[in-house]
Amino acid sequence: MDYVRASSVEEALQAAQAPGAAFVAGGTNLVPDILFGRRSAAVAVDISRLRELRFIEEREGRIRIGALTTVTDLLESALIRREAPPLCASAFEFAGPLVRNRATIGGNLLDASPAADLAPPLLAQDGEAELRSAQGGRRVPLQDFFLGYRKTAIRPGELLCAVSLRPLGPSGRSAYEKLQLRRAMAISVVSAAVALWMEGETCREAGIGMGAVAPVPCRSAAAEAALRGRPVGEAEIGAAAAAAREEARPIDDVRASAQYRKRMCEVLVRRLLRRAAGLPER
Amino acid sequence: MERYEVTFRVNGEARRASVRGQDTLLRVLRDLGHVEVKTSCEAGDCGACAVLLDGEAVNACLVFAAQADGCEIVTVRGIGTEANLHPIQRQIVEKGGVQCGFCTPGIVVAAKALLDRNPSPSFEDIRRGLAGNLCRCTGYQKLFEAIAAAAEEMRG
Repeated sequence: MDYVRASSVEEALQAAQAPGAAFVAGGTNLVPDILFGRRSAAVAVDISRLRELRFIEEREGRIRIGALTTVTDLLESALIRREAPPLCASAFEFAGPLVRNRATIGGNLLDASPAADLAPPLLAQDGEAELRSAQGGRRVPLQDFFLGYRKTAIRPGELLCAVSLRPLGPSGRSAYEKLQLRRAMAISVVSAAVALWMEGETCREAGIGMGAVAPVPCRSAAAEAALRGRPVGEAEIGAAAAAAREEARPIDDVRASAQYRKRMCEVLVRRLLRRAAGLPER
Repeated sequence: MERYEVTFRVNGEARRASVRGQDTLLRVLRDLGHVEVKTSCEAGDCGACAVLLDGEAVNACLVFAAQADGCEIVTVRGIGTEANLHPIQRQIVEKGGVQCGFCTPGIVVAAKALLDRNPSPSFEDIRRGLAGNLCRCTGYQKLFEAIAAAAEEMRG
């Protein structure tokens, strides 16, 4: 495998046009995939030193996160903790410290595991991917970015540059939980994030992101619709949790059965909505 | 096959290597004689290969050697030597936190990184700081006690 280090985004885009080119940043997925023959590349285009892609900022009413932002960066960001608590919580539960120091938000999304931990929080807060190629840039809402099992909408020669999300703001309430079989270094059994934007007692906007209950990380449009324009009471929460369960289509695997995941999807969404709404734990 | 000349400092000493694109930092460090960096899972799951890369604790098996060109690398031998043990190392020995010793280099690196950032860690902080390091022998308890003792010793 050849190796080239890009010293600018333009250089990276140029190098990516070579057949069999793969971007490498933190390497936490790519390097072992190459070593164990799960993936091959003709050339690794190292973008890990492109500082211009490693940032967390508030811009034009959105929180923008550069694709090379590490999970440790997310964990340590006061802006993320304040405006995207589910993302902060997800970063806290992510793998272990050694991996967090290298894993990037871009890499987690492009790996597109159904259980990608950073995806549900981004989905819940209206996440959007910013892509760039030699031909120009485009934006894709995150729920449209995941096309199928480990398949995203990124095109050959394209670079995922950033992801943006809707800040919680003063009217926002949120919660996150990851079900896992260990307390660290574990793939999610089920994970979920909820974000509610309130106007008085009424929920104006809702975002519900779910992981490991479908071939892709996903939002539950039906659950969100059950909350929009209504107070967040027991009945609405029950309806939303049931709707989320209906939309879940998990599989049996080594970690859990599909039946358990479907059940836990409803439990988690109900629990998180209660937490976000300030209702007592049951 | 294309080879790339990389230079980096390991424990303060300038080293150079001629590496293939797919060679990991773990394998190149060991080829350079740094066999204190252990080969174990090579998948980023066990932490045996932990090194400090420009001050950050990382799994060396997850870094292409070519990516480390120009970097400062610290292995367990750069944290303390037999003649001059770091408190983390001495406490691990004294508290009984070492049996086979295979996980120990990675544990020392992870613990050093933890204490560099948080000189007064809670027990939970220590558990989280070592969450990426597997030990098959000790059951972890004495390792956590050792690091707590090292932190207290280093605070003076």
